[in-house]
Amino acid sequence: MLVVYCHPFRESFVSAARDRLLAGLSAGAHEVRLRDLYAEGFRPELSSFERTNQFAPLASKPDVAEHAVDLQWCEALVLVYPTWWSSQPAMLKGWFDRVWVHGVAYDLPEGSNRIRRRLTNIRRIAVITTHGSSKFINALQGEPGKRVITRALRVVCHPLARTTWIPLYRLDLADERQREQFLERVERFGRSL
Amino acid sequence: MRILLVLAHPNTDSFTHAIGTRAGDALRAKGHQVDLLDLYALGFRAAMSADERAAYESGSPIIDPMVAEHAELVKATDAIVFVYPTWWSGMPAILKGWIERVLVPGVAFHFNHAGKVRPGLGHIRKVVGISTYGSRRLYVKLINDNGRRTAYRTLRLNTSLRTRRTWLAFYAVDTSSAKQRAAFLDRVEQKMSAL
Repeated sequence: MLVVYCHPFRESFVSAARDRLLAGLSAGAHEVRLRDLYAEGFRPELSSFERTNQFAPLASKPDVAEHAVDLQWCEALVLVYPTWWSSQPAMLKGWFDRVWVHGVAYDLPEGSNRIRRRLTNIRRIAVITTHGSSKFINALQGEPGKRVITRALRVVCHPLARTTWIPLYRLDLADERQREQFLERVERFGRSL
Repeated sequence: MRILLVLAHPNTDSFTHAIGTRAGDALRAKGHQVDLLDLYALGFRAAMSADERAAYESGSPIIDPMVAEHAELVKATDAIVFVYPTWWSGMPAILKGWIERVLVPGVAFHFNHAGKVRPGLGHIRKVVGISTYGSRRLYVKLINDNGRRTAYRTLRLNTSLRTRRTWLAFYAVDTSSAKQRAAFLDRVEQKMSAL
């Protein structure tokens, strides 16, 4: 199980959600790897070198290779992040851009424009995210962040991969009770895995 | 008009850069003042830092001089043109990060007394997106074209209802021919000349 946490603060409401998830997961016999992208200083910008050498072996990109190992190892992937401007923070988008690359997440046969899945090890994708705005506003915006995961990334995972979406809308206006309810839901989800 | 051209591709010899150059030239030829922000060339940092996040709701959310400079350009511009490759159905991290760090409270919107977001980009008359895609058109529509949604709908909530939008998409870029690419550059020039 791979848990990717993305928030600039070590302590935040999102980190509380992460901790409750981990508490829930500890009830089962899972092997859990946790990645904290900010804490480890992950660089989100795909470099010119990486773009030019997108088909080169991963050994030439050590920081990417390390993440690729986790990605190809996990059976379930859980992303924990705040939704900003209706999608993932740039830091997490950069993790998709740099780690979910050719040879790791997919293959692109010569002369084709359709990618072939490689991450058939991933059978479950879950997202735990907070939104500042309401569900209505997010619906107007078309939930692009949700679709990056449930439509774009899922294509390269196992064909029967299930996705679970656990959002908290209007975080800024949520009271203690609503926050606690959300955290409980996250922990329950962790136990159910 | 004053036009802000925001470009996001790591390679200067990329097709995206060719599009940016062509668009900029066409706009200048029509007498517009073009401010180019080549995010990779500027070394723009994509990730919002912990200090920036802490300052976000403080009333003075901008602490980086480069971000302050870009925010002034946004406030003064009449139109924004985004030029980028679509990756994983969205904007490259560097462009998403630009939106997160530059379009902060006081620039793109403000919070009213009830804590609700109110638009701050009413002065922007046009939003243009020009993007390349690895996939074919039908596939892009199926996946949802999430970068376009961010640029159009999410930004829209902060611009004016009269803000006009233009989208130019080049699909299946990996299997495209030189002729198709040249034709697309011509289309970019033509559309930008008519902006």
